[in-house]
Amino acid sequence: MTELTITVLDAVPMAVLELWGDPAPAAKRLAKALGHALPAAGRAAGPVMRLGPTTWLIEGDHAALAKPLGEGGALTEVGGGYARIRIAGAGWRELLMEGGLFDAESPDFATDCVATTLIEHVTVTLRVESDAACLAYVPASHAGDLLHFWRQARVLVAA
Amino acid sequence: MSGVAREGATIGFTFDGTRYLARPGETLAAALLANGVRLVGRSFKYHRPRGILTAGVEEPNALVTVGRGGRTEPNTRATDLFVYEGLEARSQNRWPGLAFDLGAVFGLASKALPAGFYYKTFFGHARTWLKYEAVIRRAAGLGPAPTEADPDHFSQRALFADVAVIGGGRAGLLAAREALRAGKRVVLIEQDAVLGGGLLRDPREIDGQGSAGWIATVEAELRSGGARILTRTTATGHWDDNMLCLAQKLVEPGQVPGHGFAQRMWHLRAGEVVYATGLIERPIPFANNDRPGVMLSRAVRTYIRRFGVVPGRRVVVATTNDDAYETARALRDAGAEVVAVLDTRPAPAGADSGFAVLNDSVPQAAKGGRRGVKGLSAVIAGAEQHFAADLIAVSGGFSPAVHLHSQAGGALDWDEGARAYKAGAARQAARTVGSAGDPPASGAFRPVGNAKASFLDFQNDVTLADIDLAWREGYRSVEHVKRYTTLGMATDQGKTSNLPALEALAHAGGMTVPEAGITTFRPPYTPVTMGAMAGAAQGEHAVPTRRPALYAVHAAKDPIWLNAGYWKRPRAYPRGSETLAQAGLREARSVRQLVGLTDVSTLAKFEVNGPDAARFLERICATTVAKLAIGRGRYTIMLREDGLVFDDGTVWRLGENRYLLTSSTSGASRMATHISYVRNHLMPEAKVSVICVQEHYAAIAVAGPKSVAVMEQLTGEAPPRHMSASQPTIAGVPVHLLAASFSGERAFEVHFDARHAAAVWQAIDDAVAAAGGCAYGLEAMELLRIEKGHLVIGPDIDGRLSADDLGMGRMLNPAGGYIGHSTLHRPAFAEPGRKQLVGLESVNGDSIPEGAMLVPHLGARAEGHVTGAVRRVLGPGHIALAHLADGRARHGQEIYARSLTRGHTTRVRVVAPHFYDPAGERYRD
Amino acid sequence: MLTIACPHCGPRAQAEFVYERTVDSVVPLDAEPAEAVAALFTRANPRGEDDEIWRHTHGCGGWLVMRRHRVTHAISAIRAIGPETLP
Repeated sequence: MTELTITVLDAVPMAVLELWGDPAPAAKRLAKALGHALPAAGRAAGPVMRLGPTTWLIEGDHAALAKPLGEGGALTEVGGGYARIRIAGAGWRELLMEGGLFDAESPDFATDCVATTLIEHVTVTLRVESDAACLAYVPASHAGDLLHFWRQARVLVAA
Repeated sequence: MSGVAREGATIGFTFDGTRYLARPGETLAAALLANGVRLVGRSFKYHRPRGILTAGVEEPNALVTVGRGGRTEPNTRATDLFVYEGLEARSQNRWPGLAFDLGAVFGLASKALPAGFYYKTFFGHARTWLKYEAVIRRAAGLGPAPTEADPDHFSQRALFADVAVIGGGRAGLLAAREALRAGKRVVLIEQDAVLGGGLLRDPREIDGQGSAGWIATVEAELRSGGARILTRTTATGHWDDNMLCLAQKLVEPGQVPGHGFAQRMWHLRAGEVVYATGLIERPIPFANNDRPGVMLSRAVRTYIRRFGVVPGRRVVVATTNDDAYETARALRDAGAEVVAVLDTRPAPAGADSGFAVLNDSVPQAAKGGRRGVKGLSAVIAGAEQHFAADLIAVSGGFSPAVHLHSQAGGALDWDEGARAYKAGAARQAARTVGSAGDPPASGAFRPVGNAKASFLDFQNDVTLADIDLAWREGYRSVEHVKRYTTLGMATDQGKTSNLPALEALAHAGGMTVPEAGITTFRPPYTPVTMGAMAGAAQGEHAVPTRRPALYAVHAAKDPIWLNAGYWKRPRAYPRGSETLAQAGLREARSVRQLVGLTDVSTLAKFEVNGPDAARFLERICATTVAKLAIGRGRYTIMLREDGLVFDDGTVWRLGENRYLLTSSTSGASRMATHISYVRNHLMPEAKVSVICVQEHYAAIAVAGPKSVAVMEQLTGEAPPRHMSASQPTIAGVPVHLLAASFSGERAFEVHFDARHAAAVWQAIDDAVAAAGGCAYGLEAMELLRIEKGHLVIGPDIDGRLSADDLGMGRMLNPAGGYIGHSTLHRPAFAEPGRKQLVGLESVNGDSIPEGAMLVPHLGARAEGHVTGAVRRVLGPGHIALAHLADGRARHGQEIYARSLTRGHTTRVRVVAPHFYDPAGERYRD
Repeated sequence: MLTIACPHCGPRAQAEFVYERTVDSVVPLDAEPAEAVAALFTRANPRGEDDEIWRHTHGCGGWLVMRRHRVTHAISAIRAIGPETLP
C-alpha cells in the first residue's frame, strides 16, 4: 500500500462562473471555447468543476472565457479564498470518512466526480483525481484546522 | 500474586490492588471468578455486597473503575471488559474497603430509604436539600468521574452499507453471508471481541462443522468478500432513515492506545438493518436475590463453556423455562453438583431431564452474605424447603433485545408464551432474525420472598416493595413509576429489570403486562464515553478555528488574541509590559493623532454582477443603491422581513453592472443565506450573480489623519475622497481602495487577493510605521468606533431595533421596495416606549459597566441597557452606547447604569450617540 | 438523522442541509403589509405534512422545497427551486 500523503498545492487563479437567465446559449459558447461541455452536477471536466446549480469553479487562467460568456453570466475571482489539499495514496477514501458525512468509499465516487460536503464541521469540495488521489478545496481560513485533523487521523487509515 | 494458578493464565491485572492472572480472551468477570473473587462491588443506594450476575453488557452489579489518571473509566461492566496486561480495576461505592464498608449501614436501615425517599425527605426549602446533598452524594453513587483530561483521541467516522447486521451470532452471520452473496455492501456489528454470539456458550455442529470452525469459515467468506466486520462495536442508537451510531472500542477501557485513539463513533447509514440482537435473560425476584453467587443461568453456562470457569460447586438451578436445563447439564459436565432444579412450572416440566426436578417451585430467599450465598429456600407446592448451595443459577425467562427496533419506531408485540415483548412491525427498512424474533417460552409465577429484599433493578436498588409502594401512592403510568422508583434509570437502563418490574406492576394493579404499559427505549443501548461523542472536538479544537489570511503576520507580533466567533483576531499588540487596556489606548491614540492599520479581512464581502445587480441590491439594502455613480460607495443597512435591522455594511459600485457589498463579520453566514434566498426564491429570473468573496479578499483598514499621505505614498496617486473607490496597486498587487471609515478618522479599506496578504500588509505596515503610526487591534477599534458612534452587529444592532430606533430612519430608501419595507407600518413601530439608540456620558468620570441596565432611580424597572462602553481616546471621561426607552427625547437626563453582576453602579447623562466629530469634518480633505 | 435527496446531488446526510422556513411563511417581494404580516406571524404549523424550504448549505448551496411529515419525518416530495439550471 502506498503511503498516504497530505499536500497543500500551490495557489492558482480560480474563478466562479455563474450563469443567469437561460443558461443554454452561454453554455454552448463556453463549451466551444473550452473544448468540452460544462460538467453536469457532481462532475468535473478539465479545469472546470461543477459547484452548484448555477455555478462552476474554473481553475487556472480564465481570461479566454470572458468573451464567450458575454452577457450570459459572470466570472468572479475567488482563488484567494481556497486552499487546495491533495490526499493521495490508497487510503484517501478512508481518511475522508473520518469526521465526514459523505460516502467517499462508494465505488460510484470515481475519477472526475465532485461533491461538496461537511468534514469535521468544515464545508469542503472534493474532486476525485484518480483512484489514488483526491483534491479537497477547503476554505482558506479552515485549512489549518483541517490539515491538523487529517494529519492526526492519518494513523487510523489501515491501522 | 494471589488467586488460583491456572494453565495458560499469563495476563497480569489487579483488582483493588491485588494482582491476579487471566487467560487471553477472558473478561474481567471471568478472570475474577476463576481467581475465586465473588464480591465485586457495593450497590448504589444500600451498599449491599454484589457479585457477578451476567456474562454480558446487561450486567447491573459488577461495575468497576478501570484505568489511571485521565484514562480512568468508572462504572465499567466487568462482564464487558477484556483483560489486558496491566489492567487496573477497582471496586466502587465502598469506604474504607469493599469487604468492610461503612455505607452498608444504609442497607441495615433500608426501611428508611424507600422509593421517593429523596422527594419526601427534601420536599421543602431548597436550602434543606443543599444541606443534605453533600452527604447523599457521598453515600449514594457509583464510580466518581475522573477530574483529569482524557489524554486519548477519539475518532468519528462515516459508514455506508446496503445491509447492516447487528449481532454476530449464528443468525447474524447467516444474514450477513446471505446479503454478501446477493452482492450487497455489508457491515456486521458485534459488541463482543469475537464473533459467535450464543454459539460461544452453546457450541453445536452446523453444516457438518463444529461451531468454531463454522464461525471461522463464515468470517473468512465475509472478509474476503469485502464485508466490514466491526467487533467490540455496539450499535448504541437507531435514528431516522436507518442512521445508526456505533461505538467501537479500539482498545479496552483504561488501556493505552498505541496509535493514540481509544474509541471510534461510527455514523452508519444503511439501506436495510437486520437485528440479530439475541435475548437478555431475566432474573427471578426473591429475597437476597442480589447476593454474590446468584447468577443468571446462561451466564453460568458461558463461564463454564466459553471461559472454562466453573462459578460454583454445589448449585441450585431455579427456572421458569427449559433453557436452564442446559445449564444444569453444563454444570454436571464440568463436575459441579446440581443439588436441584426448581422449576416454577407444574409437572411434567423437566421430568425427562435426568435432574432432581422440583415443580411448582418458587425461590423465596437466598442465605449467605458478602462472601456469597450458602443456600436457597423455596416454596414448593406450598411448602418451604431449604437447599444448601454456593451458586444459584436463575432464569426468569428471556426478553428479546428490541431496543434498536423500538428506537427506530418499530412496534412491540407481547408474546404471552415467552412473557416478553418482541419486535412487531418495523417502521424503517429493518427486520429481526434469530432468537430475538423467537423468544423461548417461559412460565408465569408469583414471587414469594420478602418484597423489601427482592431486587428488580440491581443497579439502582429498586425492589418489589418499591413498585408496590409506588402503586399504593397512586402512581399509575409506568413512566411515572419508573421516575418515582428510578427503576431502569441506571446506566444499564433496566436491561434485566424492566420486564420483572412490569410483571410486578401488572400484579399490583390487577392488570395484564401489556395493560401495564412499557417505558420508552432510548439510546444509547450501552453507555457511551463522552470522548466518543466529542470526537476531535477537544480542547482548543472544541470549535473550529478560522484563521484570517494575515494570521501568521499577526502571530509574528505575538498579539493578545480574541476569539471572535470562530475567527482568531488580534485584540491588541502590546509593547513591553503593556496591559491590554494600555496597548489598546496607545493604538487608538495613534489612529486619532497619526495613522494606524488593522486587519478587517473577516468582513463579509459579496461581488454582485449583472444587468440586474442594482435592482437586486435595492431589495437587499434598505438604502438607495441605484443612484451610486461608478467609483462611489455608501453605508447601508439591511432589514429582516419583519422590518427590524439585522445587518449593516457598505456597498460600492465598481463598474457599470458590478458592485461590492460588505457586511458584518458576525453576520456573514446569515447574510450569505439571506442573499441566496432572495436570489433563488424571490428573484430566480434576475440576471445577477452574487458570489461570496469573504475569504478571497483580505482587507486592511488604514485610518488616521496621516492615512491620505500614507496611501498616496503607497499607490503613487491621489487616494479617493471619502466614500469613493479606486483600483491602484500596492506592492505590485492590484487592490480595491475604498475610502470608508469605522473610526471617525479619514480612512481607507484595502481589499485584495488574500494570497498576497503578507506582502501588502508589509508594505502598508512599513509606510504606517514611517509615518509614526502602528498596527491596531479590536480593542482600539472598539474605543474608536464607540466614540464616533459607529455600531456593531450583535450588541448595538441586536435584531430588536428598527432603523428609526437606531436613528437611521432617514437613510431608508423613500421609494421602498427593499425587504422589510412591507412591515414597517406595523403599529408597534410607532408606539411610545420603544428602545432607541442613545449615547451616555459618565457624570462622575467613572467607568460605565458594559451590559448594565439603565434605571431612572435605584430600584426602578430597567428602561434599557448599555451596549458598549469605553473611555474617551484622547480626553478624559467615559462614554457608552445604549438602548433606552424613548431615548431620543431624553437627551440631557441623568439616570443610572446599574450592573448587579459586576457590582457597579454609576450615574450617566443621556446624550446623542456621537461623541467625536459629529459633523464628520475629519472626513474632508 | 434524515437522509435528504438533494435534487442536484442525490441522497445526502441531513447535517449538510439547513432548514430555513415553511412555504407559507414566504413574504413575496412587494407584499401588501397585511399579506406580509400574515405570512410572518400567522402560520399553519400543522401536525402532519407541511411544505418546508431547506437549503443544501454545506453541499451545492441549492434550495429545495420538501414535503415532510412533522411527526414521522417522512419526506414525500422534494423539488428544487431557483433559477433555470443545466443538468
